[in-house]
Amino acid sequence: MAIDTKFIGKTWPDLSYDVCKEKIREYAKAIKNPDPHFVDEEFARKSKYGCIIAPPTFCVVFGGALIEPIFFDNELNLNLMMLVHGEQEFEFYEVVKDKDTITSTAKITDIVNKEKLDVMTVEVLSKNQHDRKVCRGIYTFVVRK
Amino acid sequence: MADKISKGTTFEAQEVVDKYRAIYYAGASGDFNPIHIDPEFGKMVGLGGVILHGLCALGFVAKSVTDWAGDPGKLKKLRCRFATPVHIEDVITVTGEVLDVSGGRASLSLRVARQNGDEVEKNVMAEVEV
Repeated sequence: MAIDTKFIGKTWPDLSYDVCKEKIREYAKAIKNPDPHFVDEEFARKSKYGCIIAPPTFCVVFGGALIEPIFFDNELNLNLMMLVHGEQEFEFYEVVKDKDTITSTAKITDIVNKEKLDVMTVEVLSKNQHDRKVCRGIYTFVVRK
Repeated sequence: MADKISKGTTFEAQEVVDKYRAIYYAGASGDFNPIHIDPEFGKMVGLGGVILHGLCALGFVAKSVTDWAGDPGKLKKLRCRFATPVHIEDVITVTGEVLDVSGGRASLSLRVARQNGDEVEKNVMAEVEV
């Protein structure tokens, strides 16, 4: 069944995430990126950022946490067996640092019904405790019919 | 690290998708979709085993850019289309080229391919502060 276009504009409750250096270290290890900005406290302290910072794509940890409730949304009723991640776009603003508190919001910005598939676009906007933007992620999912 | 970022500058990086990479990434990202961690499930749905998370492969691409730029904070935009699944033991090569430098930003085009030449991501673009 096609995804109803009436869900364009649907939002989910904001999600708050407390960043910590140990999670940054774990994520950096997972993407095989031992850049000292992420893992070496002494280096990080002397860097222009003054502390451990997160890799840019760490935004999938605090922003991606908003994707799961969308996938399991009863009203939206996505066929997860036929869903693939089609495209991804990120815009990065202020760097994410150890001890930041990030608040993210998610919204369906587009749904396109095609003959054999539907395309759904979700925008995730994340801001830090200073109310400054850190990342805008555009997640595009394809659901085959 | 790039000494000077100018139009036509190129760089290359490589990552091996080791046997447990998707497990590490699932733990770090929270994405435990069985297609990434359960080989039997992957076979059942026609993927021939587990596939790597697209966002992990995009993490490799981001690393290639920030290693080259020398400062992770300089990456300002990144986008791609996930073209074909990345499998365990694939070797991913990222080749970047600066297309333009203007307004304090360098626009990059990236080619992301595995060992057999298949482009696993397409329309890969990045912007870096210069």
